[in-house]
Amino acid sequence: MTALLSIRDLTVTYRRDGGEVAALKDISLDIAAGERLAIIGESGSGKSTLALAVAGLLPASARVDGRIDWFLRPPPPLGAKAPPSVLPDISPSRGEIAPSSRPSPISRIAGGEPAAKLPISPLEGEMSGRTEGGAKDRRPSAIATDYGPLGGRDIGFVFQDPSASLDPVMPVGKQIAEVLYTHLGLGWPQAFAKARTLLERVRLPDPDTALHAFPHQLSGGQKQRVAIAAAIAAGPKLLIADEATSALDTIVQAEIVALIRQLVSEDGMTLLFISHDIALAAELAERIAVFRHGRLVEIGAARQIISAPRHAYTRSLLDAHLGLDAEPLSRQAEASP
Amino acid sequence: MSSPLLSVSGLTKWYRRGGKTIAAVDNVSFHIETGETLALAGPSGSGKSTIARLVLRLVEPDAGRIQFDGEDFLALGGAALRSRRARLQMVFQDPLAAFNPRATVARVLDDPLRIHGIASRLKRPRRIAALLERVGLTPDLAPRAIHEISGGQRQRVAIARAIATKPSLIVLDEAVSALDVSVRGQILHLLLDLQREERIAYLFISHDLGVVRAIAHRVAIFDAGRIAETGDARTVVDAPQSAIGQALVAATPRLNRA
Repeated sequence: MTALLSIRDLTVTYRRDGGEVAALKDISLDIAAGERLAIIGESGSGKSTLALAVAGLLPASARVDGRIDWFLRPPPPLGAKAPPSVLPDISPSRGEIAPSSRPSPISRIAGGEPAAKLPISPLEGEMSGRTEGGAKDRRPSAIATDYGPLGGRDIGFVFQDPSASLDPVMPVGKQIAEVLYTHLGLGWPQAFAKARTLLERVRLPDPDTALHAFPHQLSGGQKQRVAIAAAIAAGPKLLIADEATSALDTIVQAEIVALIRQLVSEDGMTLLFISHDIALAAELAERIAVFRHGRLVEIGAARQIISAPRHAYTRSLLDAHLGLDAEPLSRQAEASP
Repeated sequence: MSSPLLSVSGLTKWYRRGGKTIAAVDNVSFHIETGETLALAGPSGSGKSTIARLVLRLVEPDAGRIQFDGEDFLALGGAALRSRRARLQMVFQDPLAAFNPRATVARVLDDPLRIHGIASRLKRPRRIAALLERVGLTPDLAPRAIHEISGGQRQRVAIARAIATKPSLIVLDEAVSALDVSVRGQILHLLLDLQREERIAYLFISHDLGVVRAIAHRVAIFDAGRIAETGDARTVVDAPQSAIGQALVAATPRLNRA
């Protein structure tokens, strides 16, 4: 397996109430190209901060130490255009996309070498997959170089709440077409045609109608399908799903997980699946990394983490899981003195 | 045994949306005995939260009857309804949304004691301390603001508030769904302790069949506003007969630890 990216000694500190809180402490791990890696942990474990760091979406106020090295193949020459002027100016990045459309010096680097060595924030542009909920305070591109992956094109991000990800006053077809227009340089007619195909791929019923639907006309599961379509539109190498099914009911969750699995497999994407649900993670991922209080507790094959965890904390997470075969709690209480 | 604590029959609630009428709850009947937990499970939009709101009389039904504590609950109004509400409490998924976030813990617990005339002004601080201890919190939490304490602590405060009026029934709507698994286990054990000691009945609404099977005596599985099947919680979850029950079980992630 070749690595898609390598995280070394990553520490992220947020300033809060005058003090500093370390959200991630000395994290080192590799993500292999094409693998499905789950990051699990409880609230405050740092799992979402890791996702944001990988995507270069940390707030500008966060202090970041360590490095993330990407091993991307040279991207094809980009015919990308500036974002369409109809775009409501919610993103700070209108001017930031421009540098990314220059020919990338990545092509000068021979295979096998890290294509990009950046301090952090691999992003030079924005997550323009329209899945970023409000990017006002995102890290500016000043820190980034021309070498890194481009959010929205090389990284797709699916968040927990599709209502916050999608623009409420823009038809969903246009939101997907925008990604194609921006990152693949398609004209609008082609972009809309491809958006329709994407809506079909994420199995939205009646894609022709859905193209013109506004987010509020769709159910929660349908909105998440649209967010996924936008995230994968430009053919990203890495798909990040941060609690992408947590707000959905069990049946819709299973459908979305099956969809993510299929899309990742068909497009050869790498998946970073962030979840609090260890059982869900084990069903989808090949490897699981367990986070707690900003530290990596253990990482291993999903089967090993579930059946032979090395760390007591992982065991406690497994014990706390209430599966369909768990002993009823009242009986547990009666059994113990 | 006399009549059940709560008895619901033919309960129906329509919502009108865009000229169409949708039955959110369609001719639903069930009962809960004293000290019993009935779980309502089902997918989003199946009507289970509307049932909670109807039983609490936060919304009024279009048809049906609700008997609570031997009375026609729907016939009550004004002062009579307010006084019965002490016996029927609720805990929601997000206590931060349910409470004024800037209120203190003491204030949140003081309200029901004052409104329902349970304790005099002088006695209330001690009562509040006792309630906090009852739900596994320390009394020194009382002056803290709701937004300052952790999610698990907040849900314990919500439970303390619910038991302050000595209810016979608590409606729990996805009350443990947003909690971390370790905290969730503690809260479920707390609910079981309270049930054992105070004989409180729970109407426990959850989409998580694992939790339902672990805590409920009986379950009613909802689909499209109707009860698709009902029975002993373990029996139903282990071998669901309805299509929706089977779909819910099939969709539940499994840990194969062996």
